[in-house]
This record gives sequence, structure tokens and C-alpha cells, in this order.
Amino acid sequence: MTEFHEFMVAILRSGTPLVYVTMAGVIAQRAGVWHLGLEGVMIIGACATILGIVLTGSFPAAIAIACLLCVAASVLLWFVIEKLGANPIIAGLGLTGLGIGGTALAVQAIFGSLAAVTAPFGVPRLGAAFGPYGALSIFVLMMPFVVWGMWVLLRRTRFGLRLAAAGEHPLAARSVGTSPANARLIALAAGGVLCAIGGAELAAGGLTIFAQNMTAGRGFMSFAAVIFGAAHPVGAAFAALFFSLVGVAGIRLQLLFGASIPHDVLLSLPYMATILGVWISGRMRGGAKAATEASELRDY
Amino acid sequence: MTAADPPALHCRGIRVTYGEVTALADLDIAFARGAIHAVVGQNGAGKTTFARVAAGLVRPDAGSLAIDGRALRLGRVAGARAAGVELVHQSFALPPSFTVAEALEFGAGGGIGVYSRRRLLKRCRERLAALDLDVDPRRRIRDLPVEVQQGVEIARALVTDARLLILDEPTAVLPPAGIEALFERIRSLKRHGVTVILILHKIREVMAVADTISVLRGGRLVAGPIPRERADEASVAEMIVGQAAVGPVSADDTQALVGAAPVRGVATHRVPVAASPEAGETVLQLADVNTAKDPEEPPLDRVSLLVRPGEVVGVAGVQGNSQRTLVKAIAGLADVTGGDIYLNGRRASRTSAANRRALGLRVIPFERNSEGLSLTSALWENWSVRELLQQPLFSFVDPAALRRRCDEALETWGVRYASATQNAGALSGGNAQKVILAREIDDDARLIIAAQPARGLDIGATAFVWSALREAAGRGCGVLLISSDLDELFDVSHRLVVMLSGRIVAEFVPPYDIAAVGRAMTGAST
Amino acid sequence: MSGISIRAGAVIRTLAFIVLALALCGVVFELAGYSALLMLESVVEGAFLRAGGWAQSLRWALPLFITATGVAISFRCGFFNIGAQGQFYVGAICAAFVADVLGGAPAALVLPATFLAGMAGGALWALWPGYLRLRSGTDEVITTLMGNFIAALVLVYVTSGPLKDPSGTGQQAASPLLPAVYRISDSQGISPAIIGIAAAVALAMWVLVNRTPFGMLASLAGRNPTMVRFQGARLWTLGLSSFLISGGLAGLAGTIELLGPTGRIASGFLPGHGFTAVLIALVANLSVVATAVVSMLFGGLASAALYLPILAGLPAAAIDIFNASVALFITAKSGLLDRLLRAARLPT
Repeated sequence: MTEFHEFMVAILRSGTPLVYVTMAGVIAQRAGVWHLGLEGVMIIGACATILGIVLTGSFPAAIAIACLLCVAASVLLWFVIEKLGANPIIAGLGLTGLGIGGTALAVQAIFGSLAAVTAPFGVPRLGAAFGPYGALSIFVLMMPFVVWGMWVLLRRTRFGLRLAAAGEHPLAARSVGTSPANARLIALAAGGVLCAIGGAELAAGGLTIFAQNMTAGRGFMSFAAVIFGAAHPVGAAFAALFFSLVGVAGIRLQLLFGASIPHDVLLSLPYMATILGVWISGRMRGGAKAATEASELRDY
Repeated sequence: MTAADPPALHCRGIRVTYGEVTALADLDIAFARGAIHAVVGQNGAGKTTFARVAAGLVRPDAGSLAIDGRALRLGRVAGARAAGVELVHQSFALPPSFTVAEALEFGAGGGIGVYSRRRLLKRCRERLAALDLDVDPRRRIRDLPVEVQQGVEIARALVTDARLLILDEPTAVLPPAGIEALFERIRSLKRHGVTVILILHKIREVMAVADTISVLRGGRLVAGPIPRERADEASVAEMIVGQAAVGPVSADDTQALVGAAPVRGVATHRVPVAASPEAGETVLQLADVNTAKDPEEPPLDRVSLLVRPGEVVGVAGVQGNSQRTLVKAIAGLADVTGGDIYLNGRRASRTSAANRRALGLRVIPFERNSEGLSLTSALWENWSVRELLQQPLFSFVDPAALRRRCDEALETWGVRYASATQNAGALSGGNAQKVILAREIDDDARLIIAAQPARGLDIGATAFVWSALREAAGRGCGVLLISSDLDELFDVSHRLVVMLSGRIVAEFVPPYDIAAVGRAMTGAST
Repeated sequence: MSGISIRAGAVIRTLAFIVLALALCGVVFELAGYSALLMLESVVEGAFLRAGGWAQSLRWALPLFITATGVAISFRCGFFNIGAQGQFYVGAICAAFVADVLGGAPAALVLPATFLAGMAGGALWALWPGYLRLRSGTDEVITTLMGNFIAALVLVYVTSGPLKDPSGTGQQAASPLLPAVYRISDSQGISPAIIGIAAAVALAMWVLVNRTPFGMLASLAGRNPTMVRFQGARLWTLGLSSFLISGGLAGLAGTIELLGPTGRIASGFLPGHGFTAVLIALVANLSVVATAVVSMLFGGLASAALYLPILAGLPAAAIDIFNASVALFITAKSGLLDRLLRAARLPT
């Protein structure tokens, strides 16, 4: 039984950051933005949280700083895509590079070296009342409510409908007085807050450490979860949890089989699961037909 | 209504320019409350721009708008909606993945607006019932026939108690019976006190429904609003076309173009006769062709069709009755599951798309800007595609020679362009269509499929396209003309078939009876 | 006439966005407490002004150019193959295996085989995303990105397992240094062989893009696949060929690194190579000639990235940030800038 709990704790710990960032991707996708900058915004959130704790000594202050910076980065992406007409894929990758490079620079600027930064404490924990799950952060407990809230917002409110209209049929949105550009701004800014929480959970939810490039593709995995989950909050959340399940299972497998399976192969399991996920969702949506779609998107 | 009543919509000095193009030039017009007003004009006359300005979607460069005497903030949809103005777009503006209930809800108000599914459905059913619209609110927009989509869009527009409803070309997608039903709906709205502005381009329809007529040409108001009783078809047609454009266009074509040809009977239609249809010889034969299921249209169901050299065969039908699939099946882009296709007498069912081209198949596709041209590529590239595909992929070509030949071809076809290296997107609709004609109508063409070849073109360009098709047929090409515009089909085709839900349900020869064709299009008779 | 002014407009627009990217970098640097001006000065010095700067920049520019022309081909065809990094790694790994297996054989045999293996490896790593994209519509952005991560892990595995350098003592896992007979350059990375290969690639790609139906149809398909399909072209052939060419060239660049300047494969070597190549292709607007010029610029930046921490005491991440800012802005096309250009009466 304890083994099961350990397994669950591991999945929740690695899955929660993914789920938050996936929610950011879902809301952006609904509003019509392919958010490939998730990785960059997430790492800014992770770095800002740790540095915030180290520099201010207060968790609320740290998370506030992280949210502020992540929203700023998201708004920058919105500006470049919406106002300068840049291709969202390339601009998103650019923001990712900016996040990874910028956080490395910040760490070096403040601490004079590129070594990992450790904070004295992290996200508040659930505590002993939660038994074997007590070491998890409060963000883990919040996660299902955030997913549910996202579902209500996107699927059961007029606001969500207008957001979806802005993404799917901008003229329809404009015809009812909704500016698609503003809808995307709201979506990306809200995504910034979610990425900040995801990043904070990643860096300060378990260990309390920030290392260069520590997101290691999790933002992209979240984006894949959005695609896999067809931009449905619950579906995408499960896709994200599935990816982390594969990762955790890989590590368990190695404990079982020792050196007979190369360590690096197991590390690559989540990436492979991601490929599998987008492949399945591609097949579900009409297969080869998609080869000729989205030319507008691609005509950068 | 007394003279003192402020007009429902009053435009003063509205001017809209898109770059170099003036869409509306100082438009002054006022529409009285509680009537049905028609605004007519050619493509490019500024009708849609006018509708969008009134709905707040386009902010004019100059001018002012007043609703019921109260000035409106320009370029603000929210402001226009608050004043009771709603616009129904030509190609409807409803997200295809939405259910009917969601489509009615998303514009129903601001704020967050939490709803429960059950209450939403209930509300939606009430609204639909009030409008006498019979559709399941749980169905998705993309699964609905166009008439129903239009009904839903009108319902969407009335959710906020619109007092002025503008419909942009609402009849373009409807079969004759659907048009009558729409007009009935509009009359009932009028009885409920809604002012309706109809953007139309067919005089016949205008005369059937409107209380007043206003004519736009070149972004200016030519006349109007004229009460219907004081308007006659001939003079309205003349106002629409203007004097200058009439020159090269024949009188028959002009009548067909503005939809002023008689509604019933056939007396004035010239009876086109195929140049020299040699019995036995065919350029296209479809024998019991079936296609695989497709989410967008019903599949072809045992379609048989014959096109002889020198013959223009029209395919009539309401949009979405598998005309696209028909084009794709013939062009080799659809999954044909049964039956045979013969091109030039050769069995081509298993032949690749490229080889069908080599057999003389040419396609003027439905969508000029996506299927016909690459707007962000140079004109010469667009023109050369067909030739490039006839050569091995990895062989040497000389772009300078291609550019030269492209220049020659475009000049022959009278395309107005600056240079072969400019992007196709810089051309007007008519010129862009001519580029496609220049590519598709060459000496080796044997069968030309022309899908809505005149859509969105002005009168001169339309007449040009029709005469090009007639000339090609005169040289011995077979032409398959697919259109939802009966005037176009009646004017050009030697023979007419009607498609309904993937099947060919009727065939007509001149003289055509519009009522019978219309019945066949809606399945009322076969 | 108009063609020239369009091109001039494109160049001005590109330069304007690079300036904008520089400005953003400047803000980031100043925020982090570095002098932006000093940074700019050091970068220019590190790339071009210091002794041997040009040669060092060229050393980085040549492999980047080869990969970037490949990226440009797939982008032209409308496929966002951003997996150049993975294709570069897998190419290098395959080449390293062949060089290892054939070790001891004459160079005349080993070198061609190694090159072939490298290009085949890179092409293979582009083949599966291409196949998935064209067969089942699987988004190639994600598959190629994930391919990068997987290839990086495979590289770690290979260099710390099958191809591990037994004498290696450093922290970084690496394969043994290749014997000098198999090397096509010394560690300076500039040799007639490498320059010759790059020149051959440049010529071949220029002809392919500008003088063959494949090149012309691929760019048409990239802008409007529907139209090209309606004309009877097989997107399958065009698309898969462009994926393969693009992967093959990245693999070739990997092989050159193995046989040339680096002389071995090491875990995580040249980490920014693929991303930089994507940038080069975009900044060059996918043109082969412009790619050559822009590669030199980014080669200079890559060389400056090594120079900064050693000689100027500045963080190498500066270059990453500059590259990322360029990516953020480079595809911008409309709106503000056009209005500014029009206001300034410059050709757009």
C-alpha cells in the first residue's frame, strides 16, 4: 500500500506542474493561439519563485513576482503575435529561448555563477493531516479545482463561448462585439498566471531548487497534452497526467530491472508518449486530410 | 408613420477606403422604420461595406450614423448592438463547432455569464419556437443545412431584440423554395416592428419582397430609397449596371447578371445549342460513381453524367449537395469507391490526378483564393504550376522562359497586372480569375470543370468568363459548369442536371423552366 | 523594378526587427545589471574584430549554413521541421558508429561511408516526423521537438555507453577522439574540404530551389498546399522529399563536426545548433544566398559566445538571449512596422 502511495505522490508531484501549464495552453488554444511559448513562461515562473523566496524570504511575495513576470512575458508574446503579426510558432519558440536564456542570465547576474540556486523553503505543504500525501504542496490540492474551474469557465459560460468564437471564427466574435485580439490577450495573460503556478510547483513544490534549463521540455509536453486532449480542460489534464505517469513508471521500471534497460531510454519515455499522444489525436481528426489544412497558419 | 419620425438608420457622408480603393464615397441615405428595404448593386458597389459600417464592424474614415435619430459611435459593434442593429453575414458567422444553443448564447450578453446546460437548452428551445424554427438545439452548426444555419444566425441576431436587422446577400446560398421561406420570415419580422435592410443583387428577388429599393454603384448612392411601386425592373437594372459597363456585354447576359430575367416561363431565354455534339464521342463520362463518406458533404451516390465535345453541361444545386465532391472525384482528389470515370473515352478511375491533367482535364475550382491560386506567390509561379507538374520533379527548368510565357498568356487574356513577379493576392477578383482561365484554358484542354467561375465578379468580368467558356466549347472542349446561380446556368448551359444530396435527380434541356428546376433542387419533385 | 524595391523592403524590415531584438536584449541585460553597450561591443569584438575572429566565425558558420539551408527547404514546403538539432545529433551518432566500426580501414573507404551514414541518420530522424505528418496529420512541430529531446538522450547514452571514450576523465561523456587520418580539419575547423562541401551544398541547394520543378512546387505547396494539390501534385512526394533533404543536411553538418573541428561526439555538444539554424533560415527569408550571409552573422555570434565568458567576463547566455529575441520578432510582418515604414516613405 505504501508503494502505491509513493507512486501516486510521484505522479502528482511531476504531473501537477504539467497540468497547470496545460491549462494555460488550453485557454490559449481555445482563443486561437498555438502557445509554444509555454516552456519559456514556465521557466520564468520557476526561476522567479525561487529567486523571489531567496531574495524576499516570503512565499506570497515570490509567487506574486512570478505571476507578474509570467503575465508580462505572455503579454509580450501576445503583442508580437497579435500586433506585429508574427508567426505564433516561431515567436513562441523565441519566447521559450528568451525564458531559458534570461533565467540563466538572471541567476548568473545575481549569484555570479550558473550553479543551481536553492531556496530555504518552498510552496507551503499540505501537512501531516494528509498522511502519505502531506509532503505535497498546496498547489497539488488546488489542481483539481483549477481544472474544474477551467472547465466551467470554458464550457459553461458565455465568456468561454466568446473566447472559443474568437479562436474558431473571429468574424463571429467580432459580430457580437468581442474583439478577438482582446480575447487572446485575456487568455494569454490568464495563462501567464497558470504558468507561474506551474513553474513554482516545479521548482518549489518538492525540492526547492532552480537549475538552468530545468523545465526540460515540460512546456512543450504540456502543449502536446493540449493537442492530445483536444483543448478540453479535463481531457488535456488527463493527457498531462498520463505523460507524467509514463515518466514515473519509467523510473520505477529502472528500479525493478536495474541496469538492463539503459537509463536514458527510460528518461525519454515521456517524450515518446507525447509523440504517441499527438499521433493519436492527429489520426482521430481525419488523418491525411490534415496534411492540407492549416495553410494559413503555416504561411508565416 | 409620419414624416416627423426619425429614420431607423440615417447615414451621412459615410466614406470608407481600403488602401487605394474607395469602397464607399460619401454615402448619404436614410431608411424609414418598420419597412423592408433593399440595397442592390453589383459586386464591388460597396453593399457589404455599407452593411458592416452600420453594424459597427468597419469604422468609416468620415461621416456619421444615427439610429432612430440618436447618433451612433462609429466602428463599435457593441454600440451598434446596444442601439438594436444586427447583421447577418453572407457566409454566416457562427463557429462551426458550436451547438445551436451555444450559437444563440455566445452573443446574448456581456460578462462571464455562467449557465447550466439544462436551462440553456430550455431558453434556446423557447427562442427557436418563437421564430418558428424547427431544429434540435443540441446539433452542431457544421452539421446543419445552409437554410437552417441561416435561420439560426437570424435567431442569433434577434436574441438581443434587434430593431434593425441587416441581411447581407441572404439568398445567395438558398434554393428558390428556401428564398420564399426566408422572405416569409422577413415579412413576419416586419409585422413585429423590425426594420429589415436586405442586401441583394437580383432584381427579381428585390421586387418580390422589398418596400423600397436603393441602388449603389461604385460606392455611391445612385438612387433611392425608391418605393417599389415606382420602380420598374428595366430602369433598376440600368441603374445597377450603369452606362459604361454595358458595352461588350450582350443584352441576354445583362439580364441574367442582374437577375431581371423573367421568373416563370422561358420566352426570352436564348436557346443555346451545342456547337457540334458528335454522337458517341464524350470527353467525360461518369458511370454510377460512388465516393467514400466525407464529413463535409454527402458522398456521391451512383452519379452518371455525360459531357460531349463542344457541350456546356450545367450542374445546378443548392450549395453543399456534393458539388465539391463531384469536382474532386473527377479531378482525382476524392476517394472513389465504385463506378467508373472516363476522360476522353479512356477509363481514368484509377489514374492519378496529374495524369488526368495530361488527358486534358482542367479545373476552375470553387475557391479562387485557396484552391485556384496561391495569393502569396508570384503570378508566374501560379501560372506555371501546370507546366511544372508535367516535368520530372528533379529536372532543370528556366524560370526566365516561364516568366516570359506567363507574360504572353496573361496579355492574351487581358489580365491587368504590373509584373509577372507580383503576388497573385494583389489582383482584383476578376483579374485573378482571368489568371486561372489563362492557366486552365489552353490548347490541350479537353474538359473544363468550371465551379462557380463568376462568383464575386463584377458584370464585365462575369460576361468575360462566360464568353471564355462558350469559346472553349466552340473549339470542341467539353465544359462542366457547376453553379448555384440559376441565371448563370440558364444563360450558358446547353443542358442542365440537378444535384441533390450526392445524387443527380433531374435533367433539363432548354427552354428551362425555373420553377421545375427549383423544385428538383429542393427535392420537391424528381 | 518593383521586385527590387520589394526585396529592399524585406531587407529593411528584417534589419528593423533585428534592431528591435537588440533593443529587447539591451533591456534584459540592463535589468540583469550588465552594461548593454559593453555587451554589444564585446560581441562584435569576439565575432569579428579580434585576431582570428573571422576564421573562428567561419568555423561556426559553415555547419550552421548547411543545416540552415536544409531547414529552409522544409519551411519552404510549409513544414515546420524544427528538429534540426535532433537530426544533427543522430547524423553525428550514425557517422560516429560507422567511423568506429570501420576503424583501421583506409580513409578513402571510411570517409565516404561515414558521410553517407551521417546523412542517412539525419534523414532518418526527419523521416518519421515527415511520415507521421503526411500520413496521419501528426503535428510536426511537436514530433520534431520531442525528437530533439530524444536524440539528446540517445547521444548521452551512446557517449556514456557503446562509444564511451575509455580514457575520458572529464565530466562530459564523449566518444574517443578520431585519429587524424579520418579528420577533415584540425580543431580550428577551417579546411579546404569543409569549405568545399559547404560550397557544393550551396550550389546544389540553389539549383534545387530556383531551377527545378521540385523547388518551385515546394515553395508553392508551402504557401498554398490546397492549390498545388488541385493541380494534381503529390504533396506526399514533395513533403517527404523536403523532410529527407532537410534531415540529410543536418546529418551532414553533424558529420562535419565529427570529422572536422570537434573530432568526436560528446553529450550535449553544440546545443544551440538546430535552433540557430532555424533562425538563420527565417532571417534569410528562406533564400539560399541570404542564408550564406546570415550564417556568417550567426556564426560570429556563436564564436562570440565562447569569447564572452573567457575574455570579457560576460555570460554566454547573452547570445542565447539575442537569438531568442530575434526568433520572437523575425516573422513579424504587418502592423506597426509597416505603418512606420510607410510614414517614413520607405519601400515596403
